[in-house]
Order: sequence, then C-alpha cells, then structure tokens
Amino acid sequence: MKATKRVIGSVALLLFSTPAYVHHSGAMFDLSKEVQVSGTVVEFHWSNPHANFKVSAMNPAGQEEIWAVEMNSPNNLVREGWKRTTLKPGDKVTVTVRPLRDGKPGGQYVSIMLADGTVLGGEQKR
Amino acid sequence: MKGSAGPYLRCLAAAVLLFACAAAWAQQDRSAGLSQSRQDELAHKHDGYYGALAPQNLAKHRPKPPFDLTGTWFVDLRRSFLDFMFGPPYPEFYEAGKTAMKEAAAARAAGKPYRDSIGQCYPAGMPMIMTRVWPTNIIQLPTAVFMTFGFTNSFRVIYLDGRPHTDSDIAVPSYNGESIGHWEGDTLVVNTKYFETNEHWIDMGLPISDQFEITERIRLLDKGMTLQIEYIMTDPMNWKGEWHSTHRWLRQDYSDVPEVECLPNLNENLPSTEKGQQAIEKRRTESNKTNAAPEGK
Repeated sequence: MKATKRVIGSVALLLFSTPAYVHHSGAMFDLSKEVQVSGTVVEFHWSNPHANFKVSAMNPAGQEEIWAVEMNSPNNLVREGWKRTTLKPGDKVTVTVRPLRDGKPGGQYVSIMLADGTVLGGEQKR
Repeated sequence: MKGSAGPYLRCLAAAVLLFACAAAWAQQDRSAGLSQSRQDELAHKHDGYYGALAPQNLAKHRPKPPFDLTGTWFVDLRRSFLDFMFGPPYPEFYEAGKTAMKEAAAARAAGKPYRDSIGQCYPAGMPMIMTRVWPTNIIQLPTAVFMTFGFTNSFRVIYLDGRPHTDSDIAVPSYNGESIGHWEGDTLVVNTKYFETNEHWIDMGLPISDQFEITERIRLLDKGMTLQIEYIMTDPMNWKGEWHSTHRWLRQDYSDVPEVECLPNLNENLPSTEKGQQAIEKRRTESNKTNAAPEGK
C-alpha cells in the first residue's frame, strides 16, 4: 500500500512539476524535441528575469516567420559566454530550441551558432 | 438698453471675480504645507509604537539571538530540483484543491500552462517566493528580519520587536502576508497570515483562502552555512489538518540580488507566457494579411 502511494506521488510529481528556472510554466515547450532555426536576428533583449531574442526565418512554405526564443537569465548566460553585445539585428544565426508544442514559431533556447561559427550553449544546466 | 445690460455685466464681473478667487485659493492650498496630522498620515505613522528601524526600537535591550540570518541564500536543490515545491506529500484537499490537481494534470498533459499567474506578473507570494530559483538577501536586525528576493525583488519582513499581528479588521491582505516572529530556544518561530488570495497559488495551482496561515520554524545548521525552515501550513477552507514541508537554503557568499522586474512587455517576448502566445498569434495574423494582400487587390 505504501509502495503504491509512493508511485502515485512520484507520478504526480512528474506530471505537475514545472521548470522553476523560468518564472512561469514551461508546459508549452516540448522538452523532448530540439529544432534548428536559421535566420536573421530581429531583436535581442538582455534583461532579467529572462533574456530573449527574435529570429526571422523562412518556413517550409517559403513564408517569413518570426521565431521568439526564450532564454534563461543573463547571469546564467554569461557562464556560457553570452554578452549584452552577442547579438544585434541583422546577424545571421542558427539557433537550437525546444519548440512550442502547438507548432507556433517559438521555443526555449538550447544553443546558438553565431555568424562567425562560434557556438554557445548546448547543455541543460541544473 | 444701458439699463438692461447693467445687471448682467455686474453678474458676469462677480462670476469672474469668484472664479479668480477660487483658482487662487486652490493654488494656494496646493502649495501650502501639510498639517502635522496629515504629514503623519501620509508617512504611515504607527499609533503608539516604533517602526522596526527606529533607533529607539533598535536600541532596546533584548536577549542575544541564537543566530544571525544575515547573508545571501539560495534554495538547496542538490537532492532534487523539485525541492522548490511544497509537496508531495500533500494534505487531504477539499473540493477546490482536488479540482486544481486534476486540472493541472490535464493542462500539463495538453502542454498548456495552468494558473500561470506568475507568468502574468502576479507576485509568487508565500510560500512559493521562498523557493524561487533566485538568490535571496536576508538582513537580520534586533527588531526584524528583512528579505529581498531575487525573483522580481519581492519583499518580506518578519517583525521581532514584540508587536502583535495587526487587528484583522484593518489588516491589508498581501501576497507575502504579515509575519511576526519570536525566539524559542535555538529556533525562530514565525507566524504569517493576512494573505491576498487573488491569483495566489501553491505549487502547480493549489488555491488558498483568507484563512491560510503559515508557521515557520527557522534554524541555522552546519555552523551557520545552512538555513532550514520547517513549514506548517493550515487552511481550513482548502485542506484537512496541517501541511508540512521542510526546505533548506545554502549560504551564498559570492552572490548578490540583482534588480529583476516583471514587465508585461517583456512577457510579450516570452513564448511560454500567455502574452507571448498572443504576440506570436498577432504576428502570424499580420503576416498572413500581408501575404494575402496582393491577391485581394
């Protein structure tokens, strides 16, 4: 009986837990997938509690889409080499994200390849 | 003709004079100094007791406290990242809590947020603010413990100067509540109540009522390097008995609390928030209109 309760508790924990390093629910992101988006940086915000940027990219239908990329806090990003000046509008980048589950153009930042070939990120840090 | 216009002109002149006097009086009133009672009112002056930072209050003789919480702390997640949560184990919830558990599970399975109030800039509130994954500054004085949380710079005070809780008839509900503490041996015991319940949840969206109360039993361990708090939470409207949860924080001597604001326009850039989702949808709609425009012409 006790073992059953423990199993139920664990399942509940997995179901309900949210990644608290974001300041809100992370349920919208598909954490089991990673997709790469190549395009042009539209804007970059170096801000607390989350840095973020947007990339203009072509979808398979040949239409332009703006991808919104959500990042961790600058304090964490500095540790993988990010700076306030790392991105500027017009930069060509390839960003890897955990995409939104509903297929909209947005995702949670995983890593990025900058125009000069520099790669930042790539690990889920805990 | 002259005789008939005279009274009207006199009336008009009187009205202009009255208006000018009233305007001058209003101007004078705004620039006049405040009365002492109005000054006290605006400064939130207490009725008959010192504020926690009053030199006279700080200087009062009190027994030496068994420890000093002053420092920067970060929740200990080394055992499990999920230790930021206050359950499981959970108490036996009543209807609202049971419903929240079910709805939260369904939302998560559908990849949707549930009661994502923090993502809309509502305060995390107690107890969740204590375990947000940001450092916390704590300053302990003889009269109070001040906490500034890295997460949205939320603020909390635990009064230690012997004051009672505010009369419930005039207490203003807040997300971190009103905290009054006292020492019991090597433990700081804190009672917190008077919570704002609007958009204020525990863990995945469990509701609280205005009868929610928290008792914290605070201790310092490991020669002052570990802060441990045992939470005993009651809410007779939402669960049966006491909800217990114990958490630890580690002293962070190489960290500080930065300025962190929750801004609605920032959230428009974050795809995991509702505002971020709406922004994506809006961009998509505008893009579709632009693409469709040539055909329409």
